[in-house]
Amino acid sequence: MVGVLIRMKLAVLRHSTTDAKMALSGLGWTAGICLAVTTLVLASFDFSHPRLLMDLLAVTFALWALGWMVGPIFAGEPALNGEHFHRQPIPRRTLAMGLLAAALVAATTAITLVAFGALIVFAVRLSWVAVVVSVPAVVLLLLLVVLLSRVVTLLFRMLAKSRLGGVVTATVTAAMVSLCSFSWVLIIGVSLLLEYGFPPTFSTVVRALPSSWGLIAVEAAGRGDWLWAVGPLVALAAVVVALFLAWSALLGPQRIARPVVRGSSAQQAVRRGPLFRGDQGAAYLKELRTWWRDPVRTQGIVMGPAFSIITALFPLIFGFTAGFPFVGAASALMAAATCANLYGQDGTALWLTLTVPGKEKADVRARQLAWLTVFGPLTLALTLVGCLLHGDASLVPWALAGTLAALGGGSGLLVWVSVVALVPGPDPHKSKNSPMDHGDVTGQSFLVFFLVALAMCPALGVAWAGHALDLPALLWASVPVALLTGVLCHVKLGSVAARTLRDKGPELLHLMRSGKATSTAEELGEDAGKSPFATMSGKRQTVMWSAMAVGILGLFPQGLAPLGIKLSGSQAKVWFLALHVPEPWQWPVIAVMIVIALTGFWGAYLLYRTEKSRLQAAAAAPPPPSQDTGGGDMRGTGAAGPGAGADRLTSA
Amino acid sequence: MTPALQIAGLAKTFGEKIAVDHVDLTVPQGSFYGLVGPNGAGKTTTLSMAVGLLRPDEGRALVHGIDVWEEPLRARRLMGVLPDGLAMPERLTGRELLTYLGQLHGLSVEEVDRRADELLAVMELDGSAERTLVVDYSTGMRKKIGLATTLLHAPKVLVLDEPLEAVDPVSAATIKKILKRFVERGGSVLLSSHVMALVEELCDTVGVMARGRVVAEGPLGEVRGSRSLEDTFVDLVGVKIGGGEGLSWLAS
Repeated sequence: MVGVLIRMKLAVLRHSTTDAKMALSGLGWTAGICLAVTTLVLASFDFSHPRLLMDLLAVTFALWALGWMVGPIFAGEPALNGEHFHRQPIPRRTLAMGLLAAALVAATTAITLVAFGALIVFAVRLSWVAVVVSVPAVVLLLLLVVLLSRVVTLLFRMLAKSRLGGVVTATVTAAMVSLCSFSWVLIIGVSLLLEYGFPPTFSTVVRALPSSWGLIAVEAAGRGDWLWAVGPLVALAAVVVALFLAWSALLGPQRIARPVVRGSSAQQAVRRGPLFRGDQGAAYLKELRTWWRDPVRTQGIVMGPAFSIITALFPLIFGFTAGFPFVGAASALMAAATCANLYGQDGTALWLTLTVPGKEKADVRARQLAWLTVFGPLTLALTLVGCLLHGDASLVPWALAGTLAALGGGSGLLVWVSVVALVPGPDPHKSKNSPMDHGDVTGQSFLVFFLVALAMCPALGVAWAGHALDLPALLWASVPVALLTGVLCHVKLGSVAARTLRDKGPELLHLMRSGKATSTAEELGEDAGKSPFATMSGKRQTVMWSAMAVGILGLFPQGLAPLGIKLSGSQAKVWFLALHVPEPWQWPVIAVMIVIALTGFWGAYLLYRTEKSRLQAAAAAPPPPSQDTGGGDMRGTGAAGPGAGADRLTSA
Repeated sequence: MTPALQIAGLAKTFGEKIAVDHVDLTVPQGSFYGLVGPNGAGKTTTLSMAVGLLRPDEGRALVHGIDVWEEPLRARRLMGVLPDGLAMPERLTGRELLTYLGQLHGLSVEEVDRRADELLAVMELDGSAERTLVVDYSTGMRKKIGLATTLLHAPKVLVLDEPLEAVDPVSAATIKKILKRFVERGGSVLLSSHVMALVEELCDTVGVMARGRVVAEGPLGEVRGSRSLEDTFVDLVGVKIGGGEGLSWLAS
């Protein structure tokens, strides 16, 4: 069973991997290996405070476990899941064992194993007995995170079928993502912690987590305390077994029925308010009803605001409340990033838009308006409440400008990206029982996040200029500037999206039907109209996205944020590198960070340009005899992705 | 008389595979045309190209003489299209969906409400199913609401891909009756199916597709001669009926 499932998983992966996907996973693996090595380095740190080192490792292991729990929410379903084998007469235990083994065969597991090697490094410094204890501890720890990941995914899936469950899932996910994204606090925090150590309560809580039990056992073995060396290991093994049993129980057919959402009655359905007349009104009403009734959309509504609120609450540990006014702006930004697959989510329903031609613009505008209706009042209210709680009027124009720019930019970019970088997934009626079963939207979300952040720059730039020059009028001028850029984005990008939808509608429908882009004989000529993102080779995409990530990290958290704090005269250091270096070096560090960021952006832009001009050249020239030109990478071989079954003809 | 639907030299290649190889089909006005062929013969691809859902590599499709790809607005007004197994705006009820589409088609409020009422009644999607969202519809209900959306704007030609696939006998009878009435009143229907009995029961004209080509086309009587359509089909497609060899371990 085990061997069969492992081979099956490898076959599925082989057939569903495209270069673009490879690029993103390559990026992920690189980041993962860096983190794993960092964890190893942590374990060999200065040993004058063994307790502190243990706390540090405990926190790191807890973060790794958290990462395993959050991962599948973005990356979609694992390659093999229990439902694939529902109709086979295989006992659930056997199946669970096989699936577990298959799950262990993955690059992510290998990387995590390297990270958990930190436990052995730690043990080597204690005694040889500790090393003996550390080996089973590492194995158990690995099993713990893999099983935890699977069980949590299944639980989320069950929950996410109802709207209330969607709210819970989104909030928990937002909390976990927020916690993960704050893990870099550790890197700066280390130096502080070496002086003061973790607060005792915090240390107790972290050590009580199962992810720390292996560590406790190793440490006790080092002291020769046998009870504490064996006890935690046995307890950890018990947790692993319990998780395994829970998982095998959950693998079976769904037991909890999906709560059914009811539509409106005959009288209500035909009643039409003045807002819902005409083409756009009809589509607007359809969208609003979908936002209200679809648990997947409910999740989308809650995710952004929950993430922003939780993220703003974290710095309270440092007594830092300046994040409050920006909760609304951050919510709008996140809302755009999480809702970026609007058209992909609706799946092949696009055929109805294609058979009633000439209504593309109405459809796009209606989607934009519906998104604004859902998130506009919500984010503005959050901004208001945040400003009131913070109480400092000087941040109000910043917050307001940020929110308006993010709303306008988001409503434009979101429809544009959802059309040009559509991620196909299973049709909603096929995945109604497993709402987490979607395409991998990680890349798309990052793209929208980055672009919306960029769209906020003009308004925030004006605000900054007003602040630096001490001109309140200019500072407040950022609000109309935000409105202007917002309206521009909304109108222009909406039009572009509608035009793309009209011109490329059949291609988009085919992409959703077959799970991959059209590939015809005269491909290179057709590349001309395609987005460079779709045709760029895997290696180039990796480099481009890395450059962009460097840009974002350098510009926002390490460049502009400390800049703002320094300008506001606040003494808070929080976790910004620049604020932790001695005073004369602070400005240079900020400058260097911004230069690094701009270099990153410039590099990404150059790569994009090169690809674009290559496409234009290819369009102008007749197609070369050989296909081996490095382009056309969305064309995976074999039957691809989740929607592959829809159109047999295409799986050549 | 211009044909209701004329397909001329449509071709589509996916990667290496030639899915549709220069297909010509003519659906005369007022005819009930059945397109048959084994799985993978290219029926769905041909129909998708003919109605404007998939861009052809070559060839044209004309609806009452109007090119589907040159003048989509005019052509698609004349057509009702039902693809197989595609999604709908899933979180609407049947009535909400019809009202929405009716508005998009530019029908007056009263007209939309009247047609939606009648269509839902004839498809038996009102009453207890009134408040059910499309996402929760059964396969038969999905086909019926799909058919209702194709009829809503009173088209002249219906293009239906596997309209009775996986539909229960009661719903199937309803759909067949509606289609027959449509043809009796001068409408034209092109449907694809791999159920020979269904095509023999409903259609007056047939086309047989295999490996991306049309291998026979004409009035039902001419194509099948004195034999059953199934026997003719097996000969035309040139396949050997499998199932007789091997499997000695099965039910032994």
